[in-house]
Amino acid sequence: MHIAEGYLPPVQAAAWFAVSTPFVIHGTRNLVHQVRGNPDAKLLLGASGAFTFVLSALKIPSVTGSCSHPTGVGLGAILFRAPVMSVLGTIVLLFQALLLAHGGLSTLGANVFSMAIVGPWVAYGVFVLVRRLGGGLGVSVFCAAALADLATYCVTSAQLALAFPDPDSGFVGALAKFGSIFALTQIPLAISEGLLTVLVVRLLTRVSPQELRRLGLLRRPATTGGVAA
Amino acid sequence: MLALDAAAYASPWRRRHPAEKALLALGLLGCALLLPPWPGAALVGVTAAVALLGPAALPPRLLARAARTPLLFILTGSVPMLVAVSGPTSVRWAPDGVATAGATAGRAAAALLCLLLFAATTPLADVLPRLHRIGVPTAVTEVAALIYRMLFLLLDSVHAVRQAQAARLGYRTWASTYRSLAGQAGAVFLRAFSLARRLEEGLALRGYTGSLAVRTEVRRPSAAFLATTVLLLAALVLATRMLVVTG
Repeated sequence: MHIAEGYLPPVQAAAWFAVSTPFVIHGTRNLVHQVRGNPDAKLLLGASGAFTFVLSALKIPSVTGSCSHPTGVGLGAILFRAPVMSVLGTIVLLFQALLLAHGGLSTLGANVFSMAIVGPWVAYGVFVLVRRLGGGLGVSVFCAAALADLATYCVTSAQLALAFPDPDSGFVGALAKFGSIFALTQIPLAISEGLLTVLVVRLLTRVSPQELRRLGLLRRPATTGGVAA
Repeated sequence: MLALDAAAYASPWRRRHPAEKALLALGLLGCALLLPPWPGAALVGVTAAVALLGPAALPPRLLARAARTPLLFILTGSVPMLVAVSGPTSVRWAPDGVATAGATAGRAAAALLCLLLFAATTPLADVLPRLHRIGVPTAVTEVAALIYRMLFLLLDSVHAVRQAQAARLGYRTWASTYRSLAGQAGAVFLRAFSLARRLEEGLALRGYTGSLAVRTEVRRPSAAFLATTVLLLAALVLATRMLVVTG
């Protein structure tokens, strides 16, 4: 869910850039380190970014200055890890602004914080936590994708509530207004995205296990030290 | 191809230096955000629309198509500002709701036109190789350039898969729709990794050392265009101040 161009007051737009910058710098250092160690990683990262763009290109109009669609951040964070997603997500959001007029340049900082930082970190954290608690791959993927989606929309509601506090009840009232309107569309959407992500990961484990091993999502099969007769 | 990118390649301003268009569009965007919504944002919006439809020659139908969805978001997003809540059952019309909603919608609409002015005249392929000059690491600009090149191929794949699924009644029920969407995402994932692997092999055969530098056309920004832009921005600021003072 992107906040439209020019929608936030300039001071808040600048503040969200300041908040997002350290995370994007951390992700950039991570990416530069990966590329220095393995120049071929650049091609894989390019493919991953293009995949994320295409995943998040499906969208459904919503209220409150934004739009709803599968964010793709849950699947992206599970496959490519949260720090890398902060850079890939930023590039994808910039492309969405310039190629689709979706989101904007002045609101890029706010959109990066909700969609490229909070969403992927929640997804990755939930995925690791559920796996460590003994959850299966399907349950972990569902929880990660659905909660990342909800987290993204909660942060966007809070950003809009901070920008436009309610005249009577301030931030809390505005959060309730934006949050309740989002809830109508976002809770079903989060469940849908969770289910869809499970189906995608199941399909990929069947048809492309070697790529998932390359990304570290599946463990490499144990090698047997047999000796040819 | 995406409509805005195609328009950027067809624009009469296609050959202008990206810095010229960035100064104009981002300067207008800054004015839209920083000047009072009335009359500042209104003046900026009209200026951006005139530039888009006049010298930049964007077809009006394409402008309407590109702006339609974001404008719908802007307008519907202003609705919650019209009401005030003081409790679970206490909702009333906000006293300044219409003014706040109008100012926000006006500012956002003007800003959207400024964004479109840049997006519809400047292909991303012209911008990405120049980003390292403003401090973006080369590794990031090269990854961005790869994403840009691959995403059109992947979007074509999505359309082809969708058409094939629709022809086989893949969207008839909820269950088949979910299966089809998962199939689309899976197909795109495989295509993306296949593209990366083939690029990897092709580059390795050509002695790839880690650099994906591409030639960029050497152009100098036009001093006349830059000076006119600065004058235009100054005139907008002055006109807004005068209109505010005279009430």
